[in-house]
Amino acid sequence: MSMMHASHLGGTPSTAHIMRWVIAAMLPGLGMMTLYFGLGVLSNVLIAALLAVAAEAFILRLRRRPVWPTLNDASALLTGVLLGASLPPASPWWLIGVGVIAAVVVAKQLYGGLGHNPFNPAMVGYALLLVSFPTQMTLWAPPQAIWSDTLWPQILGTVPMTTLDALSGATPLDAFQHKGEAVLASEFWASSPLPEGTLAAWRNIALAWLIGGLVLIVKRLISWHIPVAMLGSMLLLSALFYASDTSHFASPLFHLVTGATLFGAFFIATDPVSSATSRRGKLFYGAGIGVLIILIRHLGGYPDAVAFAVLLMNLCVPLLDTVSVPRPVGQSTAHSGTKRSAP
Amino acid sequence: MRANDFPGGIYPPERKERSNRAPLRIAPLPNVVALPLSQHTGKAALPCVNVGDAVDTGTPVARRDGMVSANVHASISGTVIEITDSDIVIQGDGEDRRITLPPLDWRTTHCDALLSRLDEAGLVGLGGAGFPTYLKANVSQQHAIDTLVVNAAECEPYITADDLTLRYHAADVLEGAQLLARLCGAAHIIVGIEDNKPEACQALQAVLADLGRPAKVALKVIETRYPSGGERQLIKKLLNRDVPSGGLPADIGVLCHNPGTLMAALQAVRDGTPVVERVVTLTGDAIAHPGNYWVRVGTSIASLLEQVGLVQERLHRVVVGGPMMGTPLTSLAAPVTKTTNCLIAATEEELPPAPAEAPCIRCGACESVCPAQLLPQQLHWYARAQNDTALDAHHLFDCIECGACSYVCPSAIPLVQDYRSAKQRIRHKRIETAKAEHAKHRFEFRQARLAREEAEKKARRQARLAQQSPSANGTMDSPSLPVADLRSLRIAQTAAKAAVRKAEKVLARAAAEDPQQRHDDLETQLATAQENLKAAEARLAEARAASEYKEAP
Repeated sequence: MSMMHASHLGGTPSTAHIMRWVIAAMLPGLGMMTLYFGLGVLSNVLIAALLAVAAEAFILRLRRRPVWPTLNDASALLTGVLLGASLPPASPWWLIGVGVIAAVVVAKQLYGGLGHNPFNPAMVGYALLLVSFPTQMTLWAPPQAIWSDTLWPQILGTVPMTTLDALSGATPLDAFQHKGEAVLASEFWASSPLPEGTLAAWRNIALAWLIGGLVLIVKRLISWHIPVAMLGSMLLLSALFYASDTSHFASPLFHLVTGATLFGAFFIATDPVSSATSRRGKLFYGAGIGVLIILIRHLGGYPDAVAFAVLLMNLCVPLLDTVSVPRPVGQSTAHSGTKRSAP
Repeated sequence: MRANDFPGGIYPPERKERSNRAPLRIAPLPNVVALPLSQHTGKAALPCVNVGDAVDTGTPVARRDGMVSANVHASISGTVIEITDSDIVIQGDGEDRRITLPPLDWRTTHCDALLSRLDEAGLVGLGGAGFPTYLKANVSQQHAIDTLVVNAAECEPYITADDLTLRYHAADVLEGAQLLARLCGAAHIIVGIEDNKPEACQALQAVLADLGRPAKVALKVIETRYPSGGERQLIKKLLNRDVPSGGLPADIGVLCHNPGTLMAALQAVRDGTPVVERVVTLTGDAIAHPGNYWVRVGTSIASLLEQVGLVQERLHRVVVGGPMMGTPLTSLAAPVTKTTNCLIAATEEELPPAPAEAPCIRCGACESVCPAQLLPQQLHWYARAQNDTALDAHHLFDCIECGACSYVCPSAIPLVQDYRSAKQRIRHKRIETAKAEHAKHRFEFRQARLAREEAEKKARRQARLAQQSPSANGTMDSPSLPVADLRSLRIAQTAAKAAVRKAEKVLARAAAEDPQQRHDDLETQLATAQENLKAAEARLAEARAASEYKEAP
């Protein structure tokens, strides 16, 4: 006998609806980035989104899966937008293309498509690019006017490396990371190491991401567990570092507003597919990402660490899912861990 | 989540206003009724009338078969025109002559008489489960019951049958609760009702003071949240007790009853009327006059909907029960049964077909709404992979099939359907295993019996041989038996004795725990052990005879 399927009572968002809302919630952040770093931000996002959809359609056809229903869930589009937003403004098309293929084709579809990928696709693409093309990936231009004459040549990849170097500046995290052991934090800040307005730009962008993220939480499209655990553990750990040696470590606030912290907390770490599933698991997962970000920023070689922290925690998800099983109502104990009752 | 609340839950659109505005009405008397023999949990009832018999409203037409079963009564007066394997069909004469049992006073009558009256009246849980009420009330023999919960939460969307029953018959419901409380020995009665039924609450308040004897009655209004009407969820909310996994509310001293059942219990005792009609919510956008009606059991659903203004063109499907846990009807010819609480004649817009299933994105929405605090998504994967060990480890059988997970799933995965079929498959497998186990025991018994017969035959022959020729030389077929061999046979005999004692103990313990259950396998095992003991004794006797024979000069 068939039974009712409660989904048709309506009132709950579909997967496609969630994906579209996440993209919509990125608009404030993307807008703010464009305002400070020029149209290169939008070109990144557009190219990445187009390539992502094309790559998804292509691989779906190869896998002999229905193309339109799958494209309609907007998950590939979202992956493209996320990757585009992570790249340095006005990245060349081929760089974006490599990242997109790594994300959509390898990290997502070769693992079985939506719902089956163990790693966050956008972050796989990003990490691959960061490791393979470190020069291009660290060329963040300082805040600039919206329109730049070099936008087209940059996208086409025809600008020589030396010119690009001259165009780019350092992100706050970059600068602080490379200030050198001998320089005290106070001396570093006194030397005005960053172009005028850089910190304010990053702060405002972070606030814009925060607004978009809060919208998602208020609309219950993402749960609060991962962002809160991630930001909380970051603040706590960076505060510990800061308290232990204020002259060498940056303040918790600095970590919060620079780099991809807030973007990562609300839009990257919350990817449902590659994160832990239970509420308790999500708290562990988010906290793990926060801890890893601070550890890598302080002790590792990379100035920002969101991508690596997320990917490393993706690895831990199967474990988190096994140890965070809740106690069912009426059962005396939770079934956590890997032990199994005798067959 | 507060301490005395159940986890999870959802807030689906209620759509109760469609049927709770109209007064409680009486549906027209049907011309023909088809009374299913199985309207309850357990075995189908056995017909006790013949084709052509004249029956009155209330005449028993089928008797319960075994403990878990219930009587069925004619719901209209007329003639039995057909008896099939599943139904008794009665052609009505339009007169509705009633036959009733002698009225009883529940306050003074002996409990056994009351219980047999509930049994006689064919009363089952009218909330949907259909468990025979006399059995449920009898549970106090094994469990100390302190609280009777009146489950008036009615948390499913659309359904308002209990709401209207309470508005019109609050006094009868509470008196019925007193009756059941007396039967099960409960000192407290708690009425749990959701806050979306203010009229019913008022009606209850009005009669509460009068009916607070002998058990104390308390009214608890709870937040409207699905599935607060689930037995376990309601008990958690009202009493802050957890029903143990695999157990019953009786295990923690609670019995739950639906208002309709309580009222029917009172009617069976006070008025002597068996269950021949019930309140049914007829609702949905495809009918013109939605509302709650007293409907005779056995009325065809098609004619019933016809009478309340079914608009055939707008009808998309008919659902029995609520939209969360109900079942879509495949044929409108089906009759109303004792457990039919709601019929939704839905248009395509109000209950559209479920969207195509998309891949699970592991969002965890299902987990956060699960009132049993399971991991629905893990269960979904294990159910599809038929990984029964993992399903067991994730407590599949604690799932109450409320459908909250399916409701919130953004990928429209029919989760509960998966769980139901997995449960069915596992139950089936358990039965198969039990059968195989049974066959194994039978085989072992046969082997033991053959061995015993063989041993006894040999022993007899040896004894005969020893008697016949005590002086003859023992070389023919008596092997040389050293003393050590005799000792090992004696050990074997002692071990066999111990095995018999152990089997007896196991059987006695099982019988004490569950006297109603048959323990065929344990009995077979005991018989096998006894056969083994006899065989060991025969072998020992044979060996003794042989050694005497050999030692003889």
